[in-house]
Amino acid sequence: MTLVKDTVSAARRPRPAATATAGRPGRRRDNLAGYLFMSPWIAGFLLLTAGPMVASLYFAFTDYNLFNSPKWVGLDNFTRMFDDPRWQKSVEVTVRYVVIGTPLKLLLALGVALLLAQSRRGQAFYRAAFYAPSLIGASVSVGFVWRSLFSDGAIVDRTQTFFGWHVGGWVGNADWVLYCLVALTVWQFGAPMVIFLAGLKQVPRELYEAAEMDGAGPFRKFWNITLPMISPVLFFNVLLETIHSFQIFGSAYVVSNTYCGPADATLVYTCYLYQQGFRNAQMGFASAMAWMLLLAVALVTAVLFWSQKKWVHYEEGAR
Amino acid sequence: MGTSRNLERRTLLKAAGASAAALGLATTAGCGGGSGSGDGTVTIRYSWWGAEERAKKINQTIALFEKKHPKIKVKTDFQTYQSFWEKFQTQAAGGNPPDVFQNAVTFLRKYDKRGILLDLKSQAQAGNLSLDHFRAGVTKVGQVDGRQLGIPVGSNTMALVIDKKVFRKAGVEPRPGWTWDEYFKSLKTVHDRTKVAGDTGYFTIMYLYDLYLRQNGKAFYTEDGLGFDKADLTEWWTDGYNRVKAGIVTDPKVVQQDMPKSSLSAGHGASEFTWDNFTVRYSAEGDSTYGLAPIPTTDGKHTGQYLASLMLSASAHTAHPREVAQFIDFMVHDPEVGRIMGYDRGILASTEQYGAYRPADAVNKEIAQYEEDTAKSGVLGTITPHPSGADTIEAAFLRIGGDLGQGKTKVADAVKQFFTESEAAFQG
Repeated sequence: MTLVKDTVSAARRPRPAATATAGRPGRRRDNLAGYLFMSPWIAGFLLLTAGPMVASLYFAFTDYNLFNSPKWVGLDNFTRMFDDPRWQKSVEVTVRYVVIGTPLKLLLALGVALLLAQSRRGQAFYRAAFYAPSLIGASVSVGFVWRSLFSDGAIVDRTQTFFGWHVGGWVGNADWVLYCLVALTVWQFGAPMVIFLAGLKQVPRELYEAAEMDGAGPFRKFWNITLPMISPVLFFNVLLETIHSFQIFGSAYVVSNTYCGPADATLVYTCYLYQQGFRNAQMGFASAMAWMLLLAVALVTAVLFWSQKKWVHYEEGAR
Repeated sequence: MGTSRNLERRTLLKAAGASAAALGLATTAGCGGGSGSGDGTVTIRYSWWGAEERAKKINQTIALFEKKHPKIKVKTDFQTYQSFWEKFQTQAAGGNPPDVFQNAVTFLRKYDKRGILLDLKSQAQAGNLSLDHFRAGVTKVGQVDGRQLGIPVGSNTMALVIDKKVFRKAGVEPRPGWTWDEYFKSLKTVHDRTKVAGDTGYFTIMYLYDLYLRQNGKAFYTEDGLGFDKADLTEWWTDGYNRVKAGIVTDPKVVQQDMPKSSLSAGHGASEFTWDNFTVRYSAEGDSTYGLAPIPTTDGKHTGQYLASLMLSASAHTAHPREVAQFIDFMVHDPEVGRIMGYDRGILASTEQYGAYRPADAVNKEIAQYEEDTAKSGVLGTITPHPSGADTIEAAFLRIGGDLGQGKTKVADAVKQFFTESEAAFQG
């Protein structure tokens, strides 16, 4: 964060002359041209993002089936959620997915980053190879591949059975299918891994050398130097991945063949939102759900930011 | 230097203005969906649900239509069933539904209530579309309160599809008028002798439960609600669940994994209730031979069956009702179209097309025979257009029944959940 701020202020610094001419009409024309050039994006933002958001905030307090005009119902949609067993189920499924998937993914990302941070032959290749799943991970085709990997008699089932633990395919099993989705997200650890790698490269060598002089072992070095030094990066990754996990949709939708089942076992929050909005045309309820998700994610983010004081180590002054 | 800078600025401003204007233009063009042009050529949009195979056939028929009506161009779009209706709903809500589209009885009242469907009677009266020459009774399927909201392209009826090889191996022979008791005993025999579950999950199929209710003087729907009570459903689902546990109905876990394939074609079940024209699907998906069997009865006679149908409907918002009517007329009456489509969307509805197409393969021959036999046996009742919300309820019935089969919900909770969701759906 500090780094970004520095770059921005550095870019501004050599322009005191420009500030002096700010009042002149030419300057305004410059601005006008700028805004005109930006207009497609400004229009896009207003029409496609800000507008719909405001509209959905309004719909959240209405009964709206897309065809009739929205009818104001106050907080009904919100109170209805808490009486709705499927909504509760969707919250439970999503929380389980976030709480299990995110730490696993970050642990794996950090572990592999630690290995890749050492100078080895073919390092660039390994980095690219581990990063690749993150690039293709969002695609629907991977969902299909996953679906077939975790079906009856497919590779996962056979491997598991070989080790004497017969479960059958995960995809059709309400107790297992969520872990199939967890496995999919963990497999995409490449993005946080790259960020961890960048963080690891920033740790000054001198610290390790000094620690070695004092006789610190590898675990000690990791715990007392690496971890505190990369804690801002760790915080960034935790934040990003948590928010990202809450928004899971595509993999659940594809792996469950669009039904988010079986027995609602992959009914993640956005999936239920989608079903209510686009299948059942309960746009009011769906909008309320969307704002509820925003509130929940905001709350989690706030808690994370509050907690960082306790464990994130920022160096005094920008380097 | 000064002038050139100014010039530069002016050009810049112009360029920027132009880009903004271009965006504006693009937006208007995108929304308009302009359908008429100077030389009198009209473009209509046609969309349907179905697989690739259906699309290939339909595209052939459209080429035929465009040749005969050079002033009408047809733009097409198709998805799978679920995606089709999701997209359609959004388009219809935005006042931009396709001009003409495939429709089914479940959606008639829903979109009629929302003012989306064109009453095609006026077009028939204007001579753009003929309501004559249909097989007995099929045009009724497209009627709601005396208006013609859909023109049937094909008719179908619920049937029992069986894996002939497995049934033969088990020594079980279905017969017309057999009772539910006999049917379930047969499933047990099949399971005992072949280790294959007898049925793939009958108790989650809304259209089958409808038949069962009709056999008992009720129906799944009344005009505006459910035609059965919680006790009825509790009984139906309790029996269903017990049969899953006994192994005579396929484990829902397996059914889930077989999707999008049917568990019948995957060899994980020996029979499945479905629409008769879907039989083609099993032969394409599976390795065994499949055939049609009679629906089990309560009293040894009445099956509760009726003719349903896929139809073509027109948008009430269309700018070209005349051309749309001509298009529908061609699609349902032209013999050549019938020859191309075959029984893909059910037994051809108009007599012209029914007469023009002679099925060559065993499966289609059997479908035709099945409907003929069913019609002759006089068991066919009349269908009532489903109330608005029926599509949501059908999906809920399937889903909640499936949860039940997985053993994740108790019957009492499942029934309660189904009634709660149905209530919400009717209000929607």
